[in-house]
Amino acid sequence: MTASRPTPTRRNMSGLRAAALTYRVLVRQVVTPGKLVALGALGALIMLVGWLVGITADDRDRSAAELLRDGAGYADGFGLIVLVPIVALVFGSSVLGETREDGTLVYLWLRPMGRAPVVAGAAAAAATAALPLAAIPTAVGGFLAADGVPGSGDLALAAAAAAALGTAAYSSLFVLLGLLVRKPIMWGLGYVLLWEGLAVGLGEFAARLSLRGYTRSVLSRVGEIDYGFDAYTTTTALIVLAAVAVVGLALAAVRLNRLEVD
Amino acid sequence: MSTIPPPPSPPVNGSAMVEVNGVSKVFGDVVAVSDVSFNVRAGVTALLGPNGAGKSTLFRVMCGLTPPTKGTVRVLGADARRDRDVRGRIGLVPQQDGLFERLSALQFVALAAATEAVSQPERAARRALEVVDLDADDSRSVSGFSKGMRQRVKLAAALVHDPDVLILDEPLTGLDPVQRRRMIELFHGLGDEGRCVLVSSHVLEEVARLGSRILMIAQGRLAATGDYRELRELMDDRPHRIRIAVDRPRQFAAALVESGTAVGVSVGRDSIVVDTRDVDRLGREVAPLAQRLEARLSRVAPLDEDLESVFRYLLEKR
Repeated sequence: MTASRPTPTRRNMSGLRAAALTYRVLVRQVVTPGKLVALGALGALIMLVGWLVGITADDRDRSAAELLRDGAGYADGFGLIVLVPIVALVFGSSVLGETREDGTLVYLWLRPMGRAPVVAGAAAAAATAALPLAAIPTAVGGFLAADGVPGSGDLALAAAAAAALGTAAYSSLFVLLGLLVRKPIMWGLGYVLLWEGLAVGLGEFAARLSLRGYTRSVLSRVGEIDYGFDAYTTTTALIVLAAVAVVGLALAAVRLNRLEVD
Repeated sequence: MSTIPPPPSPPVNGSAMVEVNGVSKVFGDVVAVSDVSFNVRAGVTALLGPNGAGKSTLFRVMCGLTPPTKGTVRVLGADARRDRDVRGRIGLVPQQDGLFERLSALQFVALAAATEAVSQPERAARRALEVVDLDADDSRSVSGFSKGMRQRVKLAAALVHDPDVLILDEPLTGLDPVQRRRMIELFHGLGDEGRCVLVSSHVLEEVARLGSRILMIAQGRLAATGDYRELRELMDDRPHRIRIAVDRPRQFAAALVESGTAVGVSVGRDSIVVDTRDVDRLGREVAPLAQRLEARLSRVAPLDEDLESVFRYLLEKR
């Protein structure tokens, strides 16, 4: 600015501050009415169908244990396999991907900030936006599908925890995807439907390479009830999900650094 | 390249703040920038060229937003793509219109200040908005702003951290004449303080008002360098191309060549295209000549008054 005006003073930018600034701006940008309506409707549908499954349970003459398994199966099949990855995909891939498309990435890229904090802040923004839309319908849907029998509350908590961990891991992966390809939603849907949807059925090795097995293990273990599909210990599941999140963010930071920005 | 002597005295310090050495940038089959070299010192420098000439690509390379395919760029002695500190000493007004649409002008500029590690970002943002004549207390989001207001928000964000190097890609687009004048004054003030201010434009008159050193770029190549006055002379010296619609084209063409007014003529069925170095003389001769030849003159029109033709001429001269 001109000589008559005081010169702004600079301070050192910590990684935490850079991540917080990125988070603050991107969490506002990533949540749009369109996304909220579409994903909220999907979540509402999952809760509605869960309620229908629950109220028709009496007609099927199910025991309480069987109802809990039904509820867990519902939370897994509709929440963890469908809703969680899709919600994480929409927010994760767009949080930096859209800034790349609309030309606003330059306002984060051309700054004296490290790439890793920017990516971490972006992933946190995506996960913040995705978490309620993914975890609440998964938990409520499971609870309703179990018809509210004793133990349904624990099931709901376990489903919420599994959905939250899954959301964090998927969000990191999809932040990376948003920086890698131009149409991340299409690629991400392909990954969710073809790999996550089918991988578990392709054998043990393929199942280990999908996130689905780890999130459903969390669901199964946290509730301390045998729902019949826990493949891994809680520790293994937590370590793998955390590792996926960290590796996804590290690769996204490398990608961001090498990106050609418009 | 057409070489014009550099301007008489560089504004403040004599050392190059931006060094561009043999830079080329290729996107697939498209050569956006081809073997461009120049140095820029403190003061205002204009990058003039038609749309698609490679100005924005060159600015992106300078800022480190995209790496050069060949050559090197140093800003304040460092590579902005690799050096985080240098990135903090650059202020960029990008060409694209995108802003964080949900933020107000104050929030947007304060964010720029905060991400540039400026202490008291809101205070700095208010000052920067004042410089560009925007109301810091306007609570509307920038999505409701006019093109000119959005442009000034971008400018405030580029100025807020008091950068040493300002790279401004078509910053005057969308501004009204009063704002343009004020911004040009601001650029000169910044240049006089010893900052390096690079301003791109495709409008010759705009560059004339900047009254600065000029780098002319066309088809990705540096076509000429110099100050505006010298550039104007160079442009006036070039042959002009005029189409004359006349019912006796052959006789008309022969007479113009014979008189020495035309340096080249191509003859069509009912018109001729004349290359001349003296447009004024041609203008004076056409009507009497038509009268003498008893020819019916229906139209006289210049073919190359656009800026692109000037660039084309300069490139052909290289």
